[in-house]
Amino acid sequence: MDNKELSHQESLALINTMIHKAKDSYHSTGVGAMMWGIVVAVCALVKLAEIHFWFRLPFDINLLSLFALIPQVILSIKEKKKRKVTSYNDDFIRPIWLGFAITLFLLIFIINMMFDGYGPVYREYIQLAGHKPTFQFQEFVLPLFLMLYGLPTFITGVGCRFKPMLFGGIICWLSSIVAVYTEVRIDFLLTAFSALIAWFVPGLLMEKEYRRYKRNEGVLNV
Amino acid sequence: MFKELDPILHSQLRLAVISLLISVKEAEFTFLKEKTGATAGNISVQLGKLKEAGYIDINKQFKDNYPLTLCKITKKGIDAFEQYVNALQSYMKPGDGTE
Repeated sequence: MDNKELSHQESLALINTMIHKAKDSYHSTGVGAMMWGIVVAVCALVKLAEIHFWFRLPFDINLLSLFALIPQVILSIKEKKKRKVTSYNDDFIRPIWLGFAITLFLLIFIINMMFDGYGPVYREYIQLAGHKPTFQFQEFVLPLFLMLYGLPTFITGVGCRFKPMLFGGIICWLSSIVAVYTEVRIDFLLTAFSALIAWFVPGLLMEKEYRRYKRNEGVLNV
Repeated sequence: MFKELDPILHSQLRLAVISLLISVKEAEFTFLKEKTGATAGNISVQLGKLKEAGYIDINKQFKDNYPLTLCKITKKGIDAFEQYVNALQSYMKPGDGTE
């Protein structure tokens, strides 16, 4: 490309081409989203298996989410280093997901505290009444998580005009409503399903698009 | 009456750079070079002209011990780009005797 003057049509065509090229250049790899989709789904399915088949792993499978933070941090640093452009979306997406992670850990902490308080009351009730209470607090835990999963997913989908994530966010919220009325086993199934739809599938599509972009990168240059 | 086209933007490479920068928050020099296919020397000169006109901000820093030049469109640059596109569109309207 040199510095010649352009006709009006050429100018408009050039503007279109460049805007398209710029937009095409900030594709994220979908590895992070895919990983989180799998991690959350695996955690939910293992928990479901523990309840259904009456066994207990020697550790809490949810710790897998903590370990998944390590590859996530490495991925983010690598991706940031590789990026030659910063998009306007980056400004809101990063704080939203960071806020989501903080809220998630706070929710886990608060729910654990509630269980600590509820446990003795629950046992005392069984002793006095001779049966389990009809209200089971744990039945409402997963709907809370599903509700939270929906928020950043939906906002990212809307902000980035990425329909699979928008749809994923809505699925999380619908699952959250359904999970209020279903037993814990179904709640775990809904959690695994929602995680795959909200993160794994969009991640897969993002990765596919990213690879397509990488393949065409050289070819597209003027 | 036709609007006058901004001479700073009405040049292939400068228009390409501004069109790239309008879509992103910030871009590295190497990104602009890759996408426009221009030589480093040519693009440096044109970036200088855009900066002189106040259309872009250039921030020089270091990344992993290598110099890194970051370019960002300014408010003045966005306004100029919008006016330029409006002017182009007015030329392109049917019956206006465009090329």
